[in-house]
Amino acid sequence: MIVRILTEGQYNLPGQFVDKLNEVDNKIVAVVELDDEESFERLLQEMLELVRKHGSPVPIDELLESDIVLPEPDLTIKEAKELFTGEGLLPG
Amino acid sequence: MGMLSRMSTVVKSKMNRILDNAEDPSETLDYAYEKQLEMLRKVKKGVVEMVTTKRQIEIQSNKVQSNIKRLEVQASQALQIGREDLARLALQRMETSKSELEGLSNQIMNLEREQEKLTQAEKRVQAKVQAFRNKKEIIKAQYNAAQAQVRIGSALSGISEEMGDVSLAIEKAENKTESLRARAGAIDELAEAGVLNDFSGSQDSLSIELEQLSAQQNIETQLAALKSKISSEEKK
Repeated sequence: MIVRILTEGQYNLPGQFVDKLNEVDNKIVAVVELDDEESFERLLQEMLELVRKHGSPVPIDELLESDIVLPEPDLTIKEAKELFTGEGLLPG
Repeated sequence: MGMLSRMSTVVKSKMNRILDNAEDPSETLDYAYEKQLEMLRKVKKGVVEMVTTKRQIEIQSNKVQSNIKRLEVQASQALQIGREDLARLALQRMETSKSELEGLSNQIMNLEREQEKLTQAEKRVQAKVQAFRNKKEIIKAQYNAAQAQVRIGSALSGISEEMGDVSLAIEKAENKTESLRARAGAIDELAEAGVLNDFSGSQDSLSIELEQLSAQQNIETQLAALKSKISSEEKK
């Protein structure tokens, strides 16, 4: 399955890791609600590291649509919050 | 809904409008290609802007650095003539300048990291745009084939996502550069207003006194050198 890390690139990640990704994703939602910045940063890196470690980079000249899109490594908890409240979803 | 699904929506919303314009597939392909070239230009511009901002901050940092050196010399000169009060003031200024220097160094490091990221993005877009161009010509050549429609779809959504990603990267980089540039600009303004005379070289009473001290010291040194030169010539 194709996973994109924003501002970084795409990886081909074996399907078995999707559950783990979702698990971390759920934790992230929870810590964002709690405004727990430290855990947020740790979990975000954990999530990205999972993809980098187990996935293989998609060749740079391939044009593939991703199945999953992960945020950029320097996403702040504030930006994440905006994402969840919908402010970040406006096109443009 | 978790972050994963949100992110996909964000990225897709960025570039979907390209696909919405689709009527004639081959026109869409050309249009999409135009957009990609535009994006490539944007990334390049972003890199240049970042380099300029970095240069600006480096210049400031050099000024602060030479200022620190100057203050250090002045402090010891002040001590030599027994003006501990002046020496103390000079050292205080030096400390302020040092923390300013640290701040500027951090900014430079920050910009270097961003620059590296944007340069990577540029490389990526370059490769993707090239790949898209090749694909586009192949698809156009077999436009009537049944498969063409599907291929256009997949090529376009692949590239759209890439462009959405890159436009996000550019936005972020621009925001960071802007805030750093605003800070650099604010420091320049303060310096011009005389609040931070250390940057502009404009003089306040302490600086003047210290400068005079330095000048005095220089004159003394030169005088001593001249005297010894003359006396050694007399001996000959």
